Amino acid sequence: MSDIQNNEASDAPAEAPLSVLQRRWKKFKTLKRGWYSFQILVFLYLASFLLPFLVSSDALCVRYQGEWHFPVFGGYHQARDFGQDQVGEVSWRDLQEQYYFESEDDFVLLPPYPYNPLENLLHESNLKGQPPHAPNAYHILGTDDRGRDVFARLIYGFRTSITFALGVIIISYIIGMTVGACFGYFSGRVDFWGQRLVEIWSGLPFLYTIIIISSIVKPGMWLLILLLALFRWVGISFYMRGEFYREKSKDYVAAAIAQGESHRSIMFRHILPNGLTPVISFAPFAVVVTISSLVSLDYLGFGLPAPTPSWGELVNQGLENITAWHLVFFPLSALFITLLLVVFIGEAVREAFDPKVFSRLR
Amino acid sequence: MSAANQQPLLSVRDLKVHFPIYGGVLRKQVGTVKAVDGVSFDLAPGEVLGLVGESGSGKTTVGRAISNILRAMSPDVVLGGEATINHEGQTAQLNDLKRSEMLPWRAKVQMIFQDPFSSLNPRMTVQQLIERPMELHLDLSSAERKERVAYLLDRVGLQPEYAERYPHEFSGGQRQRIGIARALSTNPTLIIADEPVSALDVSVQAQVINLMAELREEFGLTYLFVAHDLAIVYHIADRIAVMYLGDIVEIGSADQVYNDPKHPYTRALLSSVPQPDPRHDTSGRIRLEGDIPSPLAKPSGCGFRTRCPIAKDSCAEEAPEWLELGEGRGVGCPHTSEL
Repeated sequence: MSDIQNNEASDAPAEAPLSVLQRRWKKFKTLKRGWYSFQILVFLYLASFLLPFLVSSDALCVRYQGEWHFPVFGGYHQARDFGQDQVGEVSWRDLQEQYYFESEDDFVLLPPYPYNPLENLLHESNLKGQPPHAPNAYHILGTDDRGRDVFARLIYGFRTSITFALGVIIISYIIGMTVGACFGYFSGRVDFWGQRLVEIWSGLPFLYTIIIISSIVKPGMWLLILLLALFRWVGISFYMRGEFYREKSKDYVAAAIAQGESHRSIMFRHILPNGLTPVISFAPFAVVVTISSLVSLDYLGFGLPAPTPSWGELVNQGLENITAWHLVFFPLSALFITLLLVVFIGEAVREAFDPKVFSRLR
Repeated sequence: MSAANQQPLLSVRDLKVHFPIYGGVLRKQVGTVKAVDGVSFDLAPGEVLGLVGESGSGKTTVGRAISNILRAMSPDVVLGGEATINHEGQTAQLNDLKRSEMLPWRAKVQMIFQDPFSSLNPRMTVQQLIERPMELHLDLSSAERKERVAYLLDRVGLQPEYAERYPHEFSGGQRQRIGIARALSTNPTLIIADEPVSALDVSVQAQVINLMAELREEFGLTYLFVAHDLAIVYHIADRIAVMYLGDIVEIGSADQVYNDPKHPYTRALLSSVPQPDPRHDTSGRIRLEGDIPSPLAKPSGCGFRTRCPIAKDSCAEEAPEWLELGEGRGVGCPHTSEL
């Protein structure tokens, strides 16, 4: 009798069996728009960690009087030690010019885009008149109202935005998933009173809290991430609670209990992998929301501390200098394109996780 | 049957499972669902007791209360009575144990579930599913566990190569075999089978039932076999207990209950078993009116009186007397001689 049974299964494809997540990943890769968006964003984000080598006013490598220096790795370089007749730190761009004309052996190798997001460029010879300056061959996106390079600020701001969004999402998901899992799993009294506490917590007005806190301490990046995460976990906890309520009633949980699994093991080893669908499909959209909230916080002036290159601050400058078209157009386009890419990813993730395509797996 | 004089493996006395119902803003208790209301039976080592009854009779709840998974799944539940297990000189009161005290007994009491689709975690391979109970209860190396998984798969009639596959790649019958292999993995003595074949095709049902009967011989298992199909229970069980609305109404050896039912409900249940012969005379068939009453508002006195063909006024007044008929035979109806 078992032969009949066995033949039935051997009709299945002979390749190695894939777990549900592996199948969904495979499906995601077939959704070209989302998959390419994902590749572009991941590439840009990983590349943004190489920014000090690509967009920076620090020279990559200097040869002066037979000695090699690598200022890109930090350290203080006095102007006098490199034959510049000014007080304070070396200006590598000036030095490159100086060596080019004066010396045959000495040279300075600058990054491809030799401007820093924080430096004031008002003394630059290639910028004429009052800031903000319109784009030119040296400053491809122009400068802002303090004479800082917009391209450098935008591209460093990208790294800040994505790091910020990932930080908020990871922390808020950890909190939200744990809390939601506990409510859904333990149900009864834990759930009833826990839900009331969550309702009170979610009644706290986010913006006022931020305003009050930023009047006491100047929030740095990580404090801001933590604060935002503390307000963002509530939503995901509702989804997890629902998932746990549904999954808990299934027999495989009863089987896990009958095997003598611990509560934690049942929650995280057995139920959680089956309840991840809403969490994963919401994550890209949460990235959109978080990037936008950082932009709006920066725009309102309660975001990252002042010199940090941030998109919200650039958008705000665009509003204040509405006639400087490059200050309006470029930051908003960068924001638009980034959010669009993330939405494409979200769309593809949602489709890859659609139970209708994989209905036989459920 | 032969073990009737021995000390029972499992002895259930006056088991009660009540679920409180909460309502209103303040979550006051507004009612109680008496899913199981005073069930008693003994299960000798090596015996198969079939527990039958229609949906809502509480038979599944009995199994879940004994295996102690009910308390973990619904924390509000009120459990009463005793379910005592005797094994190798050790005794334990199952529905009274703390989690840590229950742990050693978990290996000895395993369950087979009704729905082969939801009872296997879709995110685990067959290997992981069967291996996990061993990790928790048996002191085996990973190579030994792997070997045992292969052995168990072979024993339940599946190829050991299937170990790396996921449950969705199998048919219902194959999944139920995986469930059986998982239940066997910790060397249990008592297996609570909760309608193990109801969700399967008829042709596969027979295969799984025969497999369970073979495994019982081979591993010396004791089954509490919950089902609603009397024909299947008659085939595998030594004794049958019939449940109605949270009570056992009749208990006895399979032959006695199947061929000489004493309770009006058992008679009705038996006459509802389909006959394969189309020319079979169905005029004498007992047809029950209405549905099983809600366990939220049980009728006074005898639970079955609302649908009983021989109900009397006295049936509404007090709970029916339990008649012991000898040889482990008992019936919960004092008017049984009128049938």
